Amino acid sequence: MSSFVIEASGLSKSFGQTHALAGVDLQVRTGESLAIMGASGSGKTTLLHCLAGITRPDTGTVAFQSGAGRVDVTALSERERSRLRREAYGFVFQQGLLIPELTAVENVALALMLNGMPRLRAEEYGRGWLAALGLAGMEDRRIGQLSGGQAQRVAIARAQVTGASVVFADEPTGALDSTTSAEVMRALLDSTTGQGRTLVVVTHDADVAGRCSRIVDMRDGRIVGERVPGVSA
Amino acid sequence: MIGRVAWLLARPGTAGAAASALPITAFAIVTALLLTVLGGAQSFWSWSGDVGVTYQALAVVALVLLVVPLASLGGAAARLSARRRDDRLATLRLLGATPATVSALAVIESVVLAVVGALAGVALYFVLVPLLALIPFRGEALGIEGVVLAPLTILGVVLGVALLAIVSAVLGLRQVVISPLGVRTKQDAPKLHWLRIVIGVAVIALAFLVMSVLQVAGSAMLILAMLGAAFGGSIAVLNLIGPWVIRLVAQSQAKQAKVPARLLAARAVLESPKAAWRQVSGVAMTSFMAVFAGVGIALLGSFGEAADAESQELFADIRTGILITVVGSFLMVACSVGVNQAAGILDRGELYRSLGMLGMPTPTMDAARRRAVMSPLRITAIGSAVTAAIVMLPLTGLTIIVAPLSLAVIAGVLAAGIGVVWLGLLATRPMLERAAATN
Ligand SMILES: Nc1ncnc2c1ncn2[C@@H]1O[C@H](COP(=O)(O)OP(=O)(O)O)[C@@H](O)[C@H]1O
Ligand SMILES: [Mg+2]
Repeated sequence: MSSFVIEASGLSKSFGQTHALAGVDLQVRTGESLAIMGASGSGKTTLLHCLAGITRPDTGTVAFQSGAGRVDVTALSERERSRLRREAYGFVFQQGLLIPELTAVENVALALMLNGMPRLRAEEYGRGWLAALGLAGMEDRRIGQLSGGQAQRVAIARAQVTGASVVFADEPTGALDSTTSAEVMRALLDSTTGQGRTLVVVTHDADVAGRCSRIVDMRDGRIVGERVPGVSA
Repeated sequence: MIGRVAWLLARPGTAGAAASALPITAFAIVTALLLTVLGGAQSFWSWSGDVGVTYQALAVVALVLLVVPLASLGGAAARLSARRRDDRLATLRLLGATPATVSALAVIESVVLAVVGALAGVALYFVLVPLLALIPFRGEALGIEGVVLAPLTILGVVLGVALLAIVSAVLGLRQVVISPLGVRTKQDAPKLHWLRIVIGVAVIALAFLVMSVLQVAGSAMLILAMLGAAFGGSIAVLNLIGPWVIRLVAQSQAKQAKVPARLLAARAVLESPKAAWRQVSGVAMTSFMAVFAGVGIALLGSFGEAADAESQELFADIRTGILITVVGSFLMVACSVGVNQAAGILDRGELYRSLGMLGMPTPTMDAARRRAVMSPLRITAIGSAVTAAIVMLPLTGLTIIVAPLSLAVIAGVLAAGIGVVWLGLLATRPMLERAAATN
């Protein structure tokens, strides 16, 4: 079995005249935490979306290695990719993007209910994850009643609860102060690589990237370097 | 400065075309419906004599009933255009526009959209005039001359729509000033004191009693006054307890929900039962009226076989009027549902996109928002009709026996109205699909 959970090769993607990705090869190792760094507009989000099967690249392929075998993500239909994201992946966005009218636990349970789990059991799992992330007692709060850091931990719980094998996070700490940011990053790492899962995180915060096991640097839609934190390139 | 910023505003953005087409369409529909209603009512004013007065009184009742859904549609259109502007307000501030500049531009933009929409609405009205002219009253069609409005009246309506846009834009701006971060403030579910419910039940019971003794009342004036009191009182009660009932039902639905779409829908209604009620309350009045008046007319019609030809004609015309009012109010509710949904989708575009990324199927999102409208609508339409049937209970019972067909017609029209609202939801589905698309 390959030690790579995701293998991407020859990815390119253009939006009109903009070459957001211009030939990217990247392998994501099982159980690693990979940070994608680079200036704004360098193509980080586009790369993350291609890796996660959200966006279909113009050229190149993305393969996902699961327990059940190897899947060519780029060959899947929109509906199949949607299902793959729902069942095998988790997502954390910069702004949480939780559903404001639901409670914290309902937001988390929803991810399981979408996969067909009965609501009671889904909420039970949700409560467990919220407690593990230090949110015990806040399960029934609405999202508006949580702080930014708390909301982000609810988002982490939502990304985790389905047992996702890879979690994709796009600037998960981008809207937080540095103390909260460090806490959220610890929670994110504990609940992914800490459990043998894989984390791919886009960030331009060096502190956040510094806690990951590997960093790739992007510029103008290309990967221009690879580092291990603490070791200067 | 204003010139430069105005240019930036006018530039078509990514969502630009759709975002200005929507409020324009909404204002056009408001204007066309308003003109159509006025045109229809106007034709009664040319009639004189006792019968003329009766028709004018009935036209006023119909207008009053149509004003509620029309006002809510107008508000929705204005809010949609204001929201479209909010999107870019922050950008403009970042670009260095002063708050005063931004305010002025916002109001100007809303007025421009409203006037363009209103003019399109006038055109639409002239398309509808030939159809309107075909509606028969007093045994003959209204005729074109009867329903075409004077140019000055049309101008007045266009100005009125523009004024509505100004007021709404200014109110919207004040909100932005109050909460510069645009923080979504939760509107608390109306906390109803138990006394309100008691009063509500008491008024309905009183209306029932009034209707029961109606037969023994002597003069026609007294009967009319009692009818009016029972009708008005019941409508007031509906407004009092409508949001409360909607919240109660949604609460139980949220608890019972087993699949994502149902949970999302119930929670969306709970977010603001008042707003859910406001969106469909026009239907409450009309469906109450449809049963209330429909039962009365059905009975009068079946007992009045001996009545003179003029009364027979009046009964037939009232029946026509009821159908038109019900259809009109459902059309307006369908439009404001469509407009509100469009605004909501624009508003939550980023959330929908993120849910699409998470792998939530678009049909699930669509089912959730559909249910969030249809459930309060069903509660409202059926609840009001049932309330009216209770107030008129002895008569309703009688009607079921002597004129079952006219009750079936009323039920059919209500069902069709609910279907029209459903179509309004369907119309905004492509917008949702575009918003949720992950490309
Ligand atoms: N949906 C899109 N439509 C048009 N251009 C886009 C789109 N998504 C990204 N881009 C462009 O592609 C480039 C890379 O964007 P992105 O991947 O978001 O960069 P980053 O996340 O590193 O800031 C940018 O120039 C951006 O403007
Ligand atoms: Mg980005």
